[in-house]
Amino acid sequence: MAGLASLSRLPALPGLAEAGGTTSSGFRFADVTSSAGISFQHNSGAYGGKLLPETLGSGCAFIDYDQDGWQDILLINGMDWSGHKRQRSTLRLYRNNRDGTFRDVTAHAGLDIEMYGMGVAVGDYDNDGFPDILVTCVGQNRLFHNTGKGTFADVTDRSGLGKRSAFSTSALWFDYDRDGLLDLFVCNYVKWSPERDVFCSLDGRHKSYCTPEAYRGDTCWLFHNRGNGTFEDVTAQSGIFDSSSKSLGVAMLDDDGDGWIDILVANDTQPNKMYRNQGNGTFKDAAVEAGLAFSNDGRARAGMGIDVADFANSGHAGVAITNFDNEMTGLYEYDGKNYQDVAARTGVGLASKNTLGFGCVFLDANLDGWLDLAVANGHIDETVRNIRGNVGYAQPPQLFLNDRNVRFRDVAAELNAGFDQPKVGRGLAYGDFDRDGDLDLLLTTNNGPAYLYRNDQLEGNRSIRFRLVGTKSNRDAIGALVRIVAGGMTQLRMVKSGSSYLSQSELPVTFGLGKSERLESAVIQWPSGRTEEFKNLSAGRCYECVEGKGISPLGGF
Amino acid sequence: MSLWTFAPFGSVAWELNLYWTPKLVIRFIITIAITAPPRPRLSHCDTFGTALYALEVARTHPAKRSPTLGLLLGLIVTLAAVVGYSVYITWQVKGLRQLQSGMIDRNRKDSLQLLRIENDLNLLAVAMRDMIDNDEPYPLTAWSAQFQRIRTDLDDAMRLEASLAPMGRTREQSAELSSSLGQFWDAADRVFALAGEGEEKEARAQIQLSLQARQAALSTTVSRLLVRNSENENDAAQRIVQIYDRVQLQVYLFLGATLVAILLTGVSMIRWNRRLFAQISELSQRRSELAQKLIATQESTLRYISRELHDEFGQILTAIGSMIGRAGTHAPEGSPLRGELQEVREIAQETLERVRSLSQALHPVMLDEAGILATIDWYVPTMERQSGIAISYEKRGAPFDVSGSASVQIYRVLQEALNNVARHAETKQAWVRLRFLPTTLELEVEDHGVGFSARPAKQGIGLVAMRERAELLGGQIVFSTPVEGGTRVHLSVARVNVEPGEKEKS
Repeated sequence: MAGLASLSRLPALPGLAEAGGTTSSGFRFADVTSSAGISFQHNSGAYGGKLLPETLGSGCAFIDYDQDGWQDILLINGMDWSGHKRQRSTLRLYRNNRDGTFRDVTAHAGLDIEMYGMGVAVGDYDNDGFPDILVTCVGQNRLFHNTGKGTFADVTDRSGLGKRSAFSTSALWFDYDRDGLLDLFVCNYVKWSPERDVFCSLDGRHKSYCTPEAYRGDTCWLFHNRGNGTFEDVTAQSGIFDSSSKSLGVAMLDDDGDGWIDILVANDTQPNKMYRNQGNGTFKDAAVEAGLAFSNDGRARAGMGIDVADFANSGHAGVAITNFDNEMTGLYEYDGKNYQDVAARTGVGLASKNTLGFGCVFLDANLDGWLDLAVANGHIDETVRNIRGNVGYAQPPQLFLNDRNVRFRDVAAELNAGFDQPKVGRGLAYGDFDRDGDLDLLLTTNNGPAYLYRNDQLEGNRSIRFRLVGTKSNRDAIGALVRIVAGGMTQLRMVKSGSSYLSQSELPVTFGLGKSERLESAVIQWPSGRTEEFKNLSAGRCYECVEGKGISPLGGF
Repeated sequence: MSLWTFAPFGSVAWELNLYWTPKLVIRFIITIAITAPPRPRLSHCDTFGTALYALEVARTHPAKRSPTLGLLLGLIVTLAAVVGYSVYITWQVKGLRQLQSGMIDRNRKDSLQLLRIENDLNLLAVAMRDMIDNDEPYPLTAWSAQFQRIRTDLDDAMRLEASLAPMGRTREQSAELSSSLGQFWDAADRVFALAGEGEEKEARAQIQLSLQARQAALSTTVSRLLVRNSENENDAAQRIVQIYDRVQLQVYLFLGATLVAILLTGVSMIRWNRRLFAQISELSQRRSELAQKLIATQESTLRYISRELHDEFGQILTAIGSMIGRAGTHAPEGSPLRGELQEVREIAQETLERVRSLSQALHPVMLDEAGILATIDWYVPTMERQSGIAISYEKRGAPFDVSGSASVQIYRVLQEALNNVARHAETKQAWVRLRFLPTTLELEVEDHGVGFSARPAKQGIGLVAMRERAELLGGQIVFSTPVEGGTRVHLSVARVNVEPGEKEKS
């Protein structure tokens, strides 16, 4: 990314400038949850015991588990607490029927297992061509190996991830040592178990949910993939170990452009961490120097969700971190040396002052070539309105449209489909489930339903998608950088796992092209170090690119 | 150019060409007073007295003391007070700023760094607690990265704190902090060395025995420094309050002094103003008196010349005429001598008529003998004939008697107004309206010519004379512009002011 960082921000193309030149957002959402056959109800297990994990789950993911080119949906679920059993609840896997509908294949896939699930990370850790699933849990995390036959096998114990209990949250797959095998990073929130639950109260009599200050922090975990289906805990020797962290969100980036993937962790009431990959198997925290650890006034905020992307088309990624209500979302832009929180200046700050943000993703929702920001909001305290009149428990999700000058405007209310109806939002992921070239949104709520919003373009903006297959690199090409030039404007995407909150978006990358029909060039920087350049690619389709073996268009998207 | 033309035809009397400015008028009046031709039947003493009076008017004005010096002094005193006060305030603010930046800001920044150090020490305490708890599946060495992170931050905080240490901090105090911290890190390094050798149990014991105690001691030291900073801050706040109190007192003093200065200057200004107004009014009164005297002198001179011409020269010429007539009878009929004598007689007769006409023009005898109404009745057609202006003459009301002295003034106003029409109005039509109202006598002269605005900007002395005459009559004169344009001169005098007194009637 260092090479890209030197690129100055280029003016918008005439073709791109036309797109969305009006004040309209250029696209609409359609709530297709029920018509697509998604019928999901999250179970937080809340019975009145006010146990901390009840407020925080759960996540979701777009995953093409059967590798048919159509994104399937995975929804994580909690369960009833021991001693308070009322129902059976499991995560759900919905297979894409390729006609805009889904079929619940949970049981068939062998995922019909009860667990107190929180987050999910999708990655093909054994490079067999089929994405595997890590579900983070309160208690024991689960690793499900994709057999390639439409089923999953629980390999938690066999892989060496078993026999450890924690309050795990977000996780991501990445190849930190560039050996072509995906390693695993897992965030842990606080040292909590039902037995160690602390009594907190607002009125001195009734139990209420505790803030994280009441609990000890817990370290994140880093597991090295040995390549034989097992993992080695390298938390301590890699320098990731930090017993004070209270981590909720994690994202990957190559901050210093050295080809070694760095890790950004959003911590709740603790300084955020940026573990810079030293290239020798160790990491060094550089969040304070980078300006990402604290807010502008030097406070450690309640970091929840996180995403990393080049929203300014500057050649260097910026960062979004959602925070508590009364704390603005942090929107950090790279100034050539450090990160500056530009939330207030860009219009995101004030709009996020009274919301409690969780999931957040950068996506080019209107395909104008500039990344927009979607945020799932929702409070953790049902009675918050009694204390803070202007803050609700259920809160509208937000979609900040980038006006190409890195000024953002929340257009949620213009998108129809009840997108801006208040929800107790948590997980958020994007994926093109209907293969029409634009990005649809999947949103989960706490103790409520999940929502699938289909993106319908109104102005005929064009897009191009890339599905990367690593050979020397990890097969999912996680960590690969794709840089395209269309009409003089450069855009950058990373194939990434993690990001958002407890969730994972689809692995293929999508570029909005406005009205442009062709790409001048597309450069792919593989995690292995190989760089490939392709020219004269057409808009309106998805290209499959196999490392070292060229590029080929798929039929449509 | 303005002309003061009293004489109707410009043949006799005098004419002065002067631009009308206040200075020039005064000089003009003085010049007239000194160089006016001796009035017949007036003694030299009278003329001399008038000249002296005028000179006195000219001299007394600049002789008065000017208030400029006093005002200047007041201004200097006020400015000096402002400058003095500004210097004082600047000095106080400078002191305040020094106190603020040198003491309070520095103290505050130092306290922030001490808090940062304390926070780091707390993080160390929490890490050590976790290390002793032994509930992680990791060896103690896993904490070394966390310790290193805290150490980096602590070193940075210590460096900044040392540069910001308040002035009251002793060298011993500073040394104590850094040496305690050094000892802590030495102990920490030993603990990690032990852990690295697999002596986990011994390392945990060392943490409990030594590291935690050192951390607690460090924490106490930092807390003490924070308390000291807090005391310093209170002290500085006290001093600031004192400065504010002093400044407040000075502000009241300054305001008081300024008010007194303004009051004194104001009173002196009012005094000088009043004196100035009195002088101006006195000067105006004297000028008016002088003008009126001048008019009176002029009138009597004109009347004298008119009478002399009429009585003396008229009689002489009549006598010459009759004598030549008689002489002509002695010459033979048809002789050249008789013819020449006849010619001389005709010349004498013509001269007589001219002299009479001139006498009439200078001061119509009619005015004294037949009154103002008859004179105007005579004058208007005469003027019409001589100037070629068609004059609509209108009379209204029941005529009443007008005293001789008033008649002259009214007649002169009419004369001046019509002359102005002839000279400046550039029109061939005028209106004269004479109204004998029950309590007022009104005279109006109107033309629809070029009007005042189109004439040269300088005010003619004729207008001044008209005003003076109106004043002499105790009446009012108004110069206005009719709707049709041109000029309207409106003289109105109360009937009581123009009717002859008992003496004059008799």
